[in-house]
Amino acid sequence: MLSFIVSEAFVDLRRAGRVGVSAILLITLSLTALGGFWLLSLNLGRAVGQWRDRVRVVVFLREEPSTAALADLTRRVEALDGVQRVRYVGKADALKSLRQSLGAQGSVVDHLPRNPLPASLEVTPAEGFTTPEETRALAGRLASLPEAEEVQGGAEWVEGLARWQHLFQIVGLAVGAVLALAAILTVTTATTLVLHARRAETEIMRLVGASESVIRLPQLLQGMVQGLLGAVVALALLEAAFAVGAPRLEPLLQLTLGLARAVFLSLPQILFLIAGGAFLGALGGLLARGRATA
Amino acid sequence: MIRLHRVCKVFDGGPMKLPALSDITFEVDKGDFVVLSGASGAGKTTLLRLLYADERATDGEIEVAGFDVMALRRREVPLLRRSLGIVFQDSKLLSGRTVFENIAFVLRVLGTPRRDITPRAFQALKAVGLSARAQAYPAQLSQGEGQRAALARAIVRSPALLLADEPTGNLDEEMASEILDLIKDIWSRGTTVLLATHQSRLAAQLKRRTVRLEDGILIKDEG
Repeated sequence: MLSFIVSEAFVDLRRAGRVGVSAILLITLSLTALGGFWLLSLNLGRAVGQWRDRVRVVVFLREEPSTAALADLTRRVEALDGVQRVRYVGKADALKSLRQSLGAQGSVVDHLPRNPLPASLEVTPAEGFTTPEETRALAGRLASLPEAEEVQGGAEWVEGLARWQHLFQIVGLAVGAVLALAAILTVTTATTLVLHARRAETEIMRLVGASESVIRLPQLLQGMVQGLLGAVVALALLEAAFAVGAPRLEPLLQLTLGLARAVFLSLPQILFLIAGGAFLGALGGLLARGRATA
Repeated sequence: MIRLHRVCKVFDGGPMKLPALSDITFEVDKGDFVVLSGASGAGKTTLLRLLYADERATDGEIEVAGFDVMALRRREVPLLRRSLGIVFQDSKLLSGRTVFENIAFVLRVLGTPRRDITPRAFQALKAVGLSARAQAYPAQLSQGEGQRAALARAIVRSPALLLADEPTGNLDEEMASEILDLIKDIWSRGTTVLLATHQSRLAAQLKRRTVRLEDGILIKDEG
């Protein structure tokens, strides 16, 4: 019986012809758009998570403190609300760090008449204090220290990145949903055409006492097969685009977002897209069933 | 095998009610061959459709092959139909499939084991004398051959009851005789037959019990 249902579904798929192919293409487009935006959002999300861990507030000091003054200052800063850790960067360390970051041009710093860099405290906010509001409040508390010349840093730009991530998610879902709707309607049309073409078979099946499931399952399966094919093609396209694009984009990602490498969708996400394709196709098949029996 | 008691069928034509059958009562015993005669529009097809639950009677009692048809739920209708063989005026063969595939289709649809399909399909074709045309498509068959193929499809599952709705309606006299001989053959092997025809000469030629309808009323039950 199962072999009959499966073979009829494939016969129906052939019968659907160009409309069936269009349905597969639309499912492919819909899932490619959804998967593409998901991929972007996934990597931006990683960058956001990484940068949230790296949020620092830097307090530039008026002058380099003595050992005793530094110990006292550190103790007072650590006692402030929302401070997890304090690291002191002396003038010499700051200059060394500048030399390293300049790389091949590092020797430039040797020509400076004196070290222009101030000593600073690098303050790591405590967990739960990395939001823009909390880091702003912390910066305010640090700025009121008499030793502080200037306070820099915060989480605004990280949150800006997070907003982009949400935007990608929303745009991806919206574009995916519009294309998914078109795909469902196309599968419905393809299945309705097949139902029309196979009405003689359906009549005979009913007359000889075939159960409704045997009559209906091939249509459902036809839709599901279209959906699965669309999902597999969409994933292949995404994988190919990722394989070609990721190595070229990674240096840019490293420079702008600090991401060493881009990642592809995980196995559960891939399975979700495949199941989504099958669901879209099956839904189209079911709707056609409703139209045909109405 | 068949029992109808005070069966009425009225079609709802919007503001008008269209009575198709009124107060029909008769029985067909197991192993009987009964002819249902009457002019076109007398209600023969409607009555047959009530028997295989393609239409629902407005009133009365209908029992077919042990099923209380009036009490059947929609999902139980296939169970009734599996015990019936049905033949129509047009053969209703699937044009894209060969004669053999048409018959095998019924077996496949009903979940017959794969190994049984070919022998049973050929057995049915042999019974109607169509083995040599097994690989022909419906368009390549004469009308008589088409009707024989339809008969093979109807009997391939050895039904207890064969319902034949004008099976010779499109055939010339010679072909009609052949088909009737085949139906008699099927009956002689134990299948109950109810054959509807508007051809009164044919009905007389059969010399079987005849139930005659006129304008939806049973006017004669004799033989």
